[in-house]
Amino acid sequence: MAAVLLSVHVVVAVVFVGAVTIAVSLFPRYAREALADGTGSGSSSGSISGSGSGSGAGVPALRLLHRVTRVYAVLSLAVPVFGVATASALGVLGNAWVLASMALTLLAAGLLAGVVLPGQQELLAAATRTLPAGGTLVAARARVARLAAASGAFNLVWVAVVVLMVVRPGSTTGV
Amino acid sequence: MSDPAARRLGVATAAELVTLAVLLGNLATVHWAPLASAVGPLHGTAYLVTAVLAWQLPLPRGVRLRALVPAVGGLLVLRAAARRAPGTAAPPSP
Repeated sequence: MAAVLLSVHVVVAVVFVGAVTIAVSLFPRYAREALADGTGSGSSSGSISGSGSGSGAGVPALRLLHRVTRVYAVLSLAVPVFGVATASALGVLGNAWVLASMALTLLAAGLLAGVVLPGQQELLAAATRTLPAGGTLVAARARVARLAAASGAFNLVWVAVVVLMVVRPGSTTGV
Repeated sequence: MSDPAARRLGVATAAELVTLAVLLGNLATVHWAPLASAVGPLHGTAYLVTAVLAWQLPLPRGVRLRALVPAVGGLLVLRAAARRAPGTAAPPSP
């Protein structure tokens, strides 16, 4: 049974968390593009339909990337659940590498729900409507930089968790 | 409850209830361990997804927190949401 649980855990992690890592790392790049489009066309496009600002693929891409991040973040909840079930089936639930991975996973979830997703929402609003009151393009660019940093940190935490899963320091079955 | 967010919450709530029914049914009858191992995490996932989806709805914090109630949390939130927007919802069963 542990084999089934572990297989589900790995597949769900690769497919769902993988999608989130790609989406959050691409979002800042398209946010810069969309913000540049919005200010380049004189009055920043008030059209929610996304048909404004000619060649810019920025806003539709931003919407899609935000949606991928949001939806797959929710689906990713299966990863820690099946992880705990696998660890329980294998009898390694109290091991240090498992506990460390759980702590890092909580940190990653906090970053995603507390910093990355709200940051994406703010920038999406800034790109689709006008910039918020008092918000200049420079301020928006600074927000993009902060979002990029948070997204990179999120992905780095996931890399650390994966390395912990592979190396399993302290375990007799480590690589 | 025709908007997509509430429909997704309905699906998650249904999954939570169905998996719980399977778990309890298994426990009461054959108590087959592999089934419990497979469906248990599915139920856990459905519980968490229900809580997160309910948290994203435009409802007061107290209402959204009801999703944390095991098994029926999603139903509680959906009922409260239907009462708050009677025009768009199916008539609430009294």
